[in-house]
Amino acid sequence: MTDHLTEDDVLAAIPGLTRTRLVAFIETEVVIPLRRDTGVHTVHVFRQIDLARLQLLCDLADDLELDEAALGVIISLIDQLHAARRDLRAIARAVEQEPPEVRTRIGAALIGSLT
Amino acid sequence: MTTDPYDALGLTKHATPEEIKKAYRKLARTSHPDLHPDDSAAEARFKVISAAYDLLKDPETRAKFDAGEIDASGAERPQRQYYRDFAEAQGNPYQQGRGFGTQGDPADIFAEILRQRAQGGGDGFSGRGFAASGQDLHYALEVPFLEAAVGGEVRISLQDGDSIAVRIPQGARDGQTLRLRGKGGPGHGGGAPGDALITVAVRQHPVFRREGDDILVTLPITIDEAVLGAKVTAPTITGPVSLTIPMGVSSGRVLRMRGRGVTRPGGNVAGDELVELRIVAPREIDETLRDFLTEWRKNHAHDPRAGLLNEAVS
Repeated sequence: MTDHLTEDDVLAAIPGLTRTRLVAFIETEVVIPLRRDTGVHTVHVFRQIDLARLQLLCDLADDLELDEAALGVIISLIDQLHAARRDLRAIARAVEQEPPEVRTRIGAALIGSLT
Repeated sequence: MTTDPYDALGLTKHATPEEIKKAYRKLARTSHPDLHPDDSAAEARFKVISAAYDLLKDPETRAKFDAGEIDASGAERPQRQYYRDFAEAQGNPYQQGRGFGTQGDPADIFAEILRQRAQGGGDGFSGRGFAASGQDLHYALEVPFLEAAVGGEVRISLQDGDSIAVRIPQGARDGQTLRLRGKGGPGHGGGAPGDALITVAVRQHPVFRREGDDILVTLPITIDEAVLGAKVTAPTITGPVSLTIPMGVSSGRVLRMRGRGVTRPGGNVAGDELVELRIVAPREIDETLRDFLTEWRKNHAHDPRAGLLNEAVS
């Protein structure tokens, strides 16, 4: 079935993560776990991507001693970086499908605008 | 990992705790895989320096290492997956922007990139004002097996406290995501609200299992039904249905009930229900049955395991 972790699983998996810190990450929406309605109340469930993101946030907070505000800026920049890389890759894939002469022309135009 | 932790951090044995921290922080900045997604060697470097730092940051383990009581491998970190491994995957919920539209015109693509920049970077102070659509909110929803198979409605409480009925489409699959338009976070500056994305987890059922669009059931039958054949009642996801057991079936025989599986909108063929028969001995073996079978065994010896035992040694 679908691979979801509870709050306790996540706290156990990441040594540097405290409950207070996790709550702060969720409140500031740098991490957005799924919500599961148990009928009585709503609990958070975490995907593997949330786990990796929390680990990165802890690395940044502990190793590089970033405070909360800086952390928010950095993670947003990292997200934008990944979006840009994805777009670039999509363009590269699209160019790859084109015949050689079109690719050469695009290549020349790129060199022209990058230098 | 046998690299000397002092070498890994570019330090001597006499480094102060402050120097260790400083050296590590500097190297982490240049080697953390998530800060250098294109650097394929970053992960290996980061592993070495973080292992070295784990060992040296704690005065106790550092003293033990200096005294030769533990070696450098004592601090090796377990395997981990970096954020960059997920970041570009389909459906990353942290993706900024919504990707390209369905049109393939490169001009549109660049317009889209610029639109994303304006949204993600908050650099929207242009003459036309700044509008951004609201955030998509993600929810997980456990759906009972039958609701997923034949469709239904499940109530869910949203983040803002509202409770709404979510229509579960017929044939919903485990892991499938349902999108409720406009039920996400509010938009900014007149932008449209985001969507609520609901990931479905299908609960197990005590009787039915599901494989794609086929439903699997194990059906107990009696010895006499197996030998003589019978008309029995079998459960299906839409209610009990009569099923003919042919004469002389064995346990494990699978009968296919066409069209009794899951129908999905858009899918033109319904799945089947596969009924696996399982012969169950009577709860009490009475004298008539015992006498009959004892007698029967005398003149009807047959060994269903003969082939199996031969094959087992070949």
